Amino acid sequence: MRCKDISAQFADYLAGSLGEREREALESHVRSCPGCQEELSQASRTWRLLGDIPGDPPDSRAMRARFDTLLAEAVRDQGRAGPPLAPRGLIGEWLRRHAPVQPLLQGCAALLVLLVGIQVGRGIKPPPSPEVHELSQEVRDLRQMVTLSLMQQQSASERLKGVSWSNQLDRPGDEVVTALIDTLMHDSNVNVRLASIDALKRFADRDAVREAAVHALGTQKSPLVQMALIDFVVETREHSALETLRKLSMDSTVNEAVRTRAAWGVDHLGATA
Amino acid sequence: MSVNDEALMSAVREGDLAQLGPLFDRYHVPLFDFLSRMTGNRHVAEDLVQEVFLRVLKYRATYREGARFGTWIFSIARNVRADYFSHRETAVPLSDEVLEAPDDSPGPEGETEMESESGRLRAALMRLREDRRELLILARYQCLKHETIAELLGIDTNTVKVRVHRALKELRDIFLQMTERPSCDVKTSQRNLLII
Repeated sequence: MRCKDISAQFADYLAGSLGEREREALESHVRSCPGCQEELSQASRTWRLLGDIPGDPPDSRAMRARFDTLLAEAVRDQGRAGPPLAPRGLIGEWLRRHAPVQPLLQGCAALLVLLVGIQVGRGIKPPPSPEVHELSQEVRDLRQMVTLSLMQQQSASERLKGVSWSNQLDRPGDEVVTALIDTLMHDSNVNVRLASIDALKRFADRDAVREAAVHALGTQKSPLVQMALIDFVVETREHSALETLRKLSMDSTVNEAVRTRAAWGVDHLGATA
Repeated sequence: MSVNDEALMSAVREGDLAQLGPLFDRYHVPLFDFLSRMTGNRHVAEDLVQEVFLRVLKYRATYREGARFGTWIFSIARNVRADYFSHRETAVPLSDEVLEAPDDSPGPEGETEMESESGRLRAALMRLREDRRELLILARYQCLKHETIAELLGIDTNTVKVRVHRALKELRDIFLQMTERPSCDVKTSQRNLLII
């Protein structure tokens, strides 16, 4: 076997994908050829060292929460928009169905569209210039960034400030909602968790938020947070919380006030079911 | 018995979007690993993984029946990463950026990341030509078969094997160059800080 043929098999050898016969032939050649031996030894060493470089651990929980928000929105949009279509296909299809074929009719239609356009144009205010639009977008992004950054701070009061800031955002992005959910689930400070429940009320129409509230109801141990969550699920009429509420109302280890409130929640949700 | 990836994706394509959940659970870690090693930044990688799944939803109609899902989603991940770099306003050479990136706080043995063999190799990997780096990451960390990599990159399987071998040689050369001048960048910058 020639050295060139051997080196072509190095990648397979390192990946462990050589058959037994090929592997033996390669090893036998390498034993008798110092050049190939040196080359394989260096390639093996680099390959092994590569394997020693640790990867960054992913924050799977946070990633899954973001993904759930994304998926919930896609499901909701799907209900409104039907199956996905490429934009070009959508416009093309509409034109094919509705555009008149006769040139004279086409001319009339174009004139009509023009006149309507002029009339509408007179009636409405001029849109803001692109610069103004861009600037206001930047301000929104900046506010959102500050909010998210505050929520990551060591100090609980800073995190609390971040949660409050989220209430002032005009149209907060998914990242803010995800960060609020994450705060509700994992923040070590009760006040911050309570504030996150208030902040999340704005987004109670999102499935991911309601699901997170039900999940938190089953895991949170602070009576204050539990009470706030019970109010949240009752206000949003989240019937999937019924089972958790029942468990809470019967759990003797749970604070008595929480048990009473949970029983109230069961009655209330049960009545509206 | 768990449903295979292709059946789940076919269901997603037909409108059962919830089936993307199990696919996220199966693929977010390898995608994150690929993107984090390619970009050298875990936060960017997390964002890009979300973008990959957003595109899966958006372009679900383009998934062909019977196509291997793993190959399809990795091809989306490659595009997402390429778009990310093409849209960045400042074209900072990746190698310089990453050489500054490693955490140089002392490790358990008082050894900095840049001084360790593995840290230097990581830096060398980031200096490697992008296509070579991608090939090694796919082969070494994603453990993809050469045939799958060939399908993903649209090249011949033998070409993949030859290029893996060549990429290893080039990586070793860069690594050796860096070893001859051990972590001078970091040392110098640390010294400068002391002088200041």
